[in-house]
Amino acid sequence: MRTYAPAPTRAVLDRLLEEPSLARGVVHHEVLAARDAEFADWPVWLDPRIRAGLARRGIERPYVHQAAAIGAVHAGEDVVVVTPTASGKSLCYTVPVLQALAEDPSARALFLFPTKALGQDQVAEFSELVRDAGLEVSSACYDGDTPAPIRSAIRKAGQVVVTNPDMLHSAILPHHTKWFQLFEQLRVIVVDELHTYRGVFGSHVANVLRRLLRLCAHYGSHPVIVCCSATIGNPAELAQTLTGRPSRLVDRNGAPSGEKHVLLVDPPVIDGSTGARGSALTLAERWALPFLRAGRQTVVFGKSRVAVEIMLSNLRERLRQDLGPRTRVRGYRGGYLPTERRAIERGLRDGEILGVVSTNALELGVDIGRLDVAVLAGYPGSIAGTWQQMGRAGRRGDVSVAIVVASPAPVDQYVIHHPEFVLGGRPEEARLDPDNLHVLLAHIRAATFELPFEPGEWFGPGPADELLAFLGEGGHVRQADDGRWYWSSENFPASEISLRAAAPENVVIIDTSPDRPRVLGEVDLFSAQVLVHEHAIYMHESVQYHVDRLEWGERKAYVHRIDADHYTYANRAVTLKPLDVFATAPATGGTRVHGEVMVASLVTLYKKLKFVTDENVGWGPIDLPEIELQTTAYWLTAEGAATGWRRDELDVALIGAGRAIQAVAAVLLMVDPRDLGLVSQVRSPHHEAPTIYLYEAMPGGVGLSERLFNRHDELVVGAAELIRACPCDAGCPACTGPRLEPEVDGKALALRLLAALGSEAGARDRAAVA
Amino acid sequence: MTAERLAAEPATAVTRERRLANLRATLARAGGPPAGPDQLPARAPFAGRRSLTLARQLATALAADVADTPAGALVRRVVAPIEIPLDRERLARLPGQPPPDAPLVCLDTETTGLATAAGTLAFLVGLARWDGTWFRQTQLLLPDHADEPALLAEIADWVTPDAWLVTYNGRGFDWPLIEARYRLAGRAAPVHAGHIDLLPFVRRVFRHRMEDARLRTVEGELLGVSRAGDVEGWEIPGIYLDVLRGGPVAPLAGVVIHNEKDVRSLGLLLAHVERRYGERTSRHAAPRGDLAGLARAYGRERRHEEALDCLDDAMAAAAPVRDPFGRSPVGPARVREARQEERDAWWAPRHRPHFGGVAPRSGWRGPLANGRGGAPGPTGIAGWEAADRWSDERLAAERARVLRRLDRWAEAAEAWQAAAAGGGGLGAVAWIEVAKLREHRLGDPAGALAATRAAWRLLERERVLGRPHPRLEADLGRRGRRLAARIRRSAGGGAGAAPGVQ
Repeated sequence: MRTYAPAPTRAVLDRLLEEPSLARGVVHHEVLAARDAEFADWPVWLDPRIRAGLARRGIERPYVHQAAAIGAVHAGEDVVVVTPTASGKSLCYTVPVLQALAEDPSARALFLFPTKALGQDQVAEFSELVRDAGLEVSSACYDGDTPAPIRSAIRKAGQVVVTNPDMLHSAILPHHTKWFQLFEQLRVIVVDELHTYRGVFGSHVANVLRRLLRLCAHYGSHPVIVCCSATIGNPAELAQTLTGRPSRLVDRNGAPSGEKHVLLVDPPVIDGSTGARGSALTLAERWALPFLRAGRQTVVFGKSRVAVEIMLSNLRERLRQDLGPRTRVRGYRGGYLPTERRAIERGLRDGEILGVVSTNALELGVDIGRLDVAVLAGYPGSIAGTWQQMGRAGRRGDVSVAIVVASPAPVDQYVIHHPEFVLGGRPEEARLDPDNLHVLLAHIRAATFELPFEPGEWFGPGPADELLAFLGEGGHVRQADDGRWYWSSENFPASEISLRAAAPENVVIIDTSPDRPRVLGEVDLFSAQVLVHEHAIYMHESVQYHVDRLEWGERKAYVHRIDADHYTYANRAVTLKPLDVFATAPATGGTRVHGEVMVASLVTLYKKLKFVTDENVGWGPIDLPEIELQTTAYWLTAEGAATGWRRDELDVALIGAGRAIQAVAAVLLMVDPRDLGLVSQVRSPHHEAPTIYLYEAMPGGVGLSERLFNRHDELVVGAAELIRACPCDAGCPACTGPRLEPEVDGKALALRLLAALGSEAGARDRAAVA
Repeated sequence: MTAERLAAEPATAVTRERRLANLRATLARAGGPPAGPDQLPARAPFAGRRSLTLARQLATALAADVADTPAGALVRRVVAPIEIPLDRERLARLPGQPPPDAPLVCLDTETTGLATAAGTLAFLVGLARWDGTWFRQTQLLLPDHADEPALLAEIADWVTPDAWLVTYNGRGFDWPLIEARYRLAGRAAPVHAGHIDLLPFVRRVFRHRMEDARLRTVEGELLGVSRAGDVEGWEIPGIYLDVLRGGPVAPLAGVVIHNEKDVRSLGLLLAHVERRYGERTSRHAAPRGDLAGLARAYGRERRHEEALDCLDDAMAAAAPVRDPFGRSPVGPARVREARQEERDAWWAPRHRPHFGGVAPRSGWRGPLANGRGGAPGPTGIAGWEAADRWSDERLAAERARVLRRLDRWAEAAEAWQAAAAGGGGLGAVAWIEVAKLREHRLGDPAGALAATRAAWRLLERERVLGRPHPRLEADLGRRGRRLAARIRRSAGGGAGAAPGVQ
């Protein structure tokens, strides 16, 4: 007998916590108290029409954070707004922009969203507010989908232009002379979803903004910049690095929220010797199902399209057996048609749809209202992402529940056993390096194309002359008789830069499944080796593609869509040579270093691994040339810590400790673990000592290694904690990596090495501080 | 926290310098600077004004003069004038042509790239105007980026507010590019009274007998000019940029001659159009396709009477068993092929014009880079628009459309009937048009029903021959039922007034 009677969220949760098989996996249970709304008043200068329009949309008064931001923007101050999901962030910029337009219709504003879909959502929402306010404002999306005839109309008369950084970079800035009405009157630049601009992408976007502001100066406008971000550790710093200007931080959230329960759940260990655990997906389904049966709106997040499909069909099947509300559970992911997605969003808002299983497509600012329960099948990879997904659950004046189910991956395991990481109120810091030499050079080329450089003119960190002279050696730019630097090549530099990849030379991925082949995306050469070799399964927006052919010389990979139950993992054989040391400092048991390295990478074979279980189901050879990558790295040498070790044991210890450090580094720096490459050498030819290198897997790096150098102690301590907390016997993929030789205790060896590198002392220091 | 952040400021100036040096060293090891466009040595470091020297060198090589103005130096090449008589009154009567009293300025540019974006430079601007019957050409060449203000000033002298520009694809390319240059210099481009871009005119009138619409092809077909040994468009940017980098000056002569011929062709083409098509009497000998195209050009300006004249002349001209230029008549297969080419061709309207700048490349990049372009145009029924050959039926249909626009319903219906003579699916479409006119305009529902039946017979025959037209049949079915009902109603209505109601 099952009950389908609607039940309150709290009652369902209590019942589940009494069920031993589920309760056993709960590693941590935290209750976040309810909070009341904090309101402020509309500023006196606000146009009564806008006020009336807001009231018509049910917004009588602004929250404190909205009022603070609106006031600052109106006063011409740059602002960065950091509040949780669904706290009304967009109002912080739409209201002052509308006010500016009401005062002066010739004013212009530019909204930047990281993806097309978000921009289109925003235009729809903005137009509704404009209509309710009875104003005449033309707002439009300018993206790849915009038809040509409409484009020229937007260039001339679009008062609010909504676009994405890629479009700004390749279609607007190089053609700025056709956009002079926009540039001359630009008052506000909005950068929404600020936290997505990190790593390589962020480094590029920072330079795109430099180019944008340079052109604004040429046309005599001085726009205010408004950034909006999900909760991250360093919003003001990120905004400053990205925009190059200090901005005022608005982070006092005035939006109300109900009581919220956060559960961190770990699937039980099935086999201690291998550390094998139960499936995160199955456990996530088990937690979600009772809430759905009780009529509570629930969102389940999966990390891939396949995970979403598996959970969706299982949930529906279970609900069907029980004659439950099967058809009211839907899937949501990239690849669905926009109309379909809009229908699902609407259904969630008005309650017609009860449950949704989604990829992180629902993580960004799509409006689906507030739900009762969020279940995360796997740690989303960042604390900010976790909060974004957990934030989907949260009713005003009612209890909500967020459940994070860990997968066996090392990063997941580390996070789940350090609740303070997720809940301690100190999310990761988003990092980018706009002065990465490769990125900077690429954008100086594009900037020269757009407008000649004056001698001594600054671009980013300083005068651009030296870099221009370097480019001049290649013949791309030249210094003319007036001393200015001009673009002097027939190429179109913006088309040579992909904002989403690091190196100028990329492999283009072409999808041959549709009637007309289309370009899916690009990857840099270094990543191409492991991502798009022949027979690789390439994931794009959580859709799987099979790589049929890789034309290495042509830099083209041909793929077609498939649905496979496995993914591929290519083994990279890496040799590393230090080129230059930027900084070095003594550390317990050795030395920590930050510098530049040359990494040579050869990929010779790949494995096919089953989804969910990671079971090996086959392999194949890869025939690709070796490539070199000049990048920055952090490394630690263990000359003191490793004295008196047996060579074979030291080898195992270095690998194990290195893997754990790599996992912790990915967590600390909010990056994909694949962004950091690992090399360990028992006797580094350079230092003549055992060495662990973590290098950035993109040319020139984005400043991660410098951060690692500074946080060396945390890495060593964290790595030891990760290994110690792992319930396996002697090392497993979740901590020190897969066991290569069964009789060796990789766990103990790695811990011994880390202790000699100061993990114990570090942990004591930490305890003393606490 | 702050201290830590300060320590972590990425890439201090010192490390940046070191990294640049490392990158240089790596590149040197790999053999040369990154993807340099050529192997020419870089020019010596900046050392003040050199362009005057280069300008003199260029002037000597190109038999031109140096204009040393306060705004910069320019190489000015005055071409020996030639006689191109042009009757402006006659020209003005043609569709889209300038009024007889407006001064004409022919203009063509050579550029450092094919995008009309901010970094593309018009380094050579060819200009011409008529002085009586004399066609006077001047070419302006930039010796250096820094001298551009002098070039812009001189263009502004040529393009006066009452002038009309004459270009080939200048609306989409040359003029927007020049406007961008003015905008970059912080001023507005010169105002002018009008702009005749000859490309759309050529496309409309002559495309039925040309492989493509490049100026070079047009010259060959219409003016009998051939350009052996001419420099290729895609070579041009490289030749000029090499000169800027200190490369040889001589190859630029070919570019200058190329530009000179382009500008002269503008004048010759305009004169050719005026002479052959300016008067109804003069165009009798023209191929009927030209006349049909001209009719469309008139139609665009709502000059339907003149369009009708053209079509009448075209009907009178012999059907193109062989076209006057000796090519075989165009068969359906060739038409399909041609349409495909047309969609992909660089000059097809939906694509960005391609005026050189890049070497031709094969593979996927072409069609993909052009974006969309996939969907075929709105061809009401397969084959109707595709009948590129200007058959009697197609001309009749064209004529019928013009007559309808002139509200000459009865004649339009007659013309459609003539178009229906060809039978087949196209004939059925023509009969449907007859039915529409009879029903809605001529007040003849019975006649309309008859036309519907005629269309139905043609479709039945088509179906027997294995070429069914289901959508047309559905449309005809609805139309027939409605007409029959209407006729019944009006007949019944007459009767119903008398006894019918119980």
